[in-house]
Amino acid sequence: MPIIVNLDIMLTKRNMKSKELAEIIGITTANMSILKSGKAKAVRFSTLEAICKALDCQPADILEYVED
Amino acid sequence: MKDNTTILTFITWGLLLSAVSVLLNDMREFDFNQFKEFQNWAKTANKNDPWFTSKNAIQWSYYAINAGLFFWRGYLIYGFSYFLSILKEIENGNYFSDKNISYFKKIGNIFVWYTISVLVLRFLLAAIGESTFNFFNELKAEFTFLIPVGLAFFILAEIFKRGKETEEENDLTI
Repeated sequence: MPIIVNLDIMLTKRNMKSKELAEIIGITTANMSILKSGKAKAVRFSTLEAICKALDCQPADILEYVED
Repeated sequence: MKDNTTILTFITWGLLLSAVSVLLNDMREFDFNQFKEFQNWAKTANKNDPWFTSKNAIQWSYYAINAGLFFWRGYLIYGFSYFLSILKEIENGNYFSDKNISYFKKIGNIFVWYTISVLVLRFLLAAIGESTFNFFNELKAEFTFLIPVGLAFFILAEIFKRGKETEEENDLTI
């Protein structure tokens, strides 16, 4: 998939664990794992909004387009 | 939802049991001893006589076709039994499962093949009995409605296939 999820990088920058983020944004750790591994087919705007709010970042900091 | 599934399961069991009992009763009334009579005749028959025109052979064919009709009725009941499997899957919460898709296809196949086979057997019966076989009259018989029903099950299988894909997509939407 040409969309890369850079959630790990942002979590390291903010010194936050993925479990903590999952709790803040209200998703399960299993779904967080799907999101981080790039297996997710889609991301809801509400989830993206919650992630950006929790990590104090922009959507572009989390999502990146890389040509195959 | 579970209550509805339980009611439907009971109704399906009721229908299945009554269909099986009707079939068994018809089989009991059917004189299977005719086959033995044919075997006895086959042992003593003159080998030079043409086989297909002899009275016994025609009679035997008639009974063999009737037995075939019993087989297909049993096969149709077997097809109905897949409703129970579908209801079990629904009860377990697996609505758009691979199993349900294959059950719908199997039911569709059974319904369509039942109708085609019974039509062919009825044609053979008419041929043996030297009566007229009117294809369009046969199509008016109730059992031929199973062809559109079978096709409807194929369509349902396709819808469930698409439903499964959508469900998977939904599960992977965070």
